[in-house]
Amino acid sequence: MNIIEIENLGHRFSDGSYGIKNVNLEISEGSFVVITGPNGSGKTTLLRHLNGLLQPTTGSVKLAGVPVEDDLVRARQFVGMMFQDADSQIVGETVYEDVAFGPENLNLERIEIKRRVADALDTAGLTEFSEYRPHLLSGGEKRRLAIAGILAMNPQVIVFDEPFASLDYPGVRQVLRHILALHQTGHTIIIVTHDLEKVIAHADRLIIMHKGQVVKDDSPLKVLPEVEKFGVRQPCDARQGMEPRSWLN
Amino acid sequence: MAELTLFGYRSGHSVLHRIDVRCKILGLLFISTVSLNAGVFSLAILSGLLVMVAIDCRLKLKSFLREIRYFFILMLVILIAHALSTKGTMVWKIYFLSISIYGLYEGALICWRLFLVVLAGLLFVSTTRPSEIKASVEWFLKPVPFVSGKRLATMFSLVMRFIPVILNQAKETAEAQKARCVEIRKNPIYRIKKMGFPLLRRMFENADRLVFAMEARCYNENRTDPDLSFRPTDWLAILLVTGLCVLLLIV
Repeated sequence: MNIIEIENLGHRFSDGSYGIKNVNLEISEGSFVVITGPNGSGKTTLLRHLNGLLQPTTGSVKLAGVPVEDDLVRARQFVGMMFQDADSQIVGETVYEDVAFGPENLNLERIEIKRRVADALDTAGLTEFSEYRPHLLSGGEKRRLAIAGILAMNPQVIVFDEPFASLDYPGVRQVLRHILALHQTGHTIIIVTHDLEKVIAHADRLIIMHKGQVVKDDSPLKVLPEVEKFGVRQPCDARQGMEPRSWLN
Repeated sequence: MAELTLFGYRSGHSVLHRIDVRCKILGLLFISTVSLNAGVFSLAILSGLLVMVAIDCRLKLKSFLREIRYFFILMLVILIAHALSTKGTMVWKIYFLSISIYGLYEGALICWRLFLVVLAGLLFVSTTRPSEIKASVEWFLKPVPFVSGKRLATMFSLVMRFIPVILNQAKETAEAQKARCVEIRKNPIYRIKKMGFPLLRRMFENADRLVFAMEARCYNENRTDPDLSFRPTDWLAILLVTGLCVLLLIV
């Protein structure tokens, strides 16, 4: 079943330039999709249409058959989004409050909020940090906090925009482990990155965007040999003719 | 810059930590009002009370004095200004400057009052979570027409959240400019301009990203109400503080 259907999607900015043009995609439930492309190729613009943060100039996005614009609150619960800069995503003064922010916006009962926050903190491995101030957390912990904040909304699709940017090696492994755990629990995962090395071994589909359009869309093994034509570096293993290996091994 | 200071919440199990935030705000209001009009006897009673509370909260005297060191300069200025400007029996005179005993007494009294207000405020801030202060702002503003308590509380919460981030960015910007020898330029306007504009631009960019992040998590004003509970001990505390304040006003 397709959980996301994107038809003829286009977005034009106020200065007249196109962010994305004629994008057509279908993403099936439970899949693990990596979207790549150079800076300015329209990856982030595409993501922001999935939960209605940006409105399309042309075309539409449907989530489980329902157009995004029909119910924005549903769309934002359905698609959880982790932004590139975790610092500007965290709004709570403590870890607990940040995770509770989403459920409070949904006007849930306090007891339900507590349950969801406890579950999300547990899944993200942050229970012991619940009273910490977020700006004192490490880069990897901030990313995990952003994940917990998304999980408390009970999304079906989780979208990550450059989740490994400016993380050290242990931080990358921590975040990757959590992404894989979320995939195993049935979430559909979409990752936008130009750093394929760290995640491609786990993906079942690789999409390349270039100048606002989808130019390649297939299994990673088929697409990887062509990524460098579009300004994205091939993973080391692929350059040596091997299958990409996981960063967790 | 963004490290924790004394002027921030510190977890603990003191009486003040356990009292409801609304009760603490009313207590702070009453004590501050009484302090600003109190004489020596009342100030001594209030000082005794606040010192006991501070001991119970495990307030560290050394860090307290370090944190309010600039406030002492302000108090010194007030003391000198009063001593020089109030008429009375002179204790010292040089040319046109004269210091009176009454002026010294009045100045000392004002400094004492201000000090108590600062101490009470510090005890409040260090025993109250920002989220509780936010919740109480929301609660107090609920009955006020045409004012959105929830919006103001969210604004308050975001300010509290982003102060350390802005301070960190200011520090980074300053260090980046030092690395390029900005110190050679002595013109303060040039330096303020070079520091202020990039910092403001980053803050506005962050604000834009924050809006997206909040929208992505369904931000709206119809949110779950804050979790506040007024227990019998809170009623007792507010009665005691009110009683004491009324007594001190009469005395």
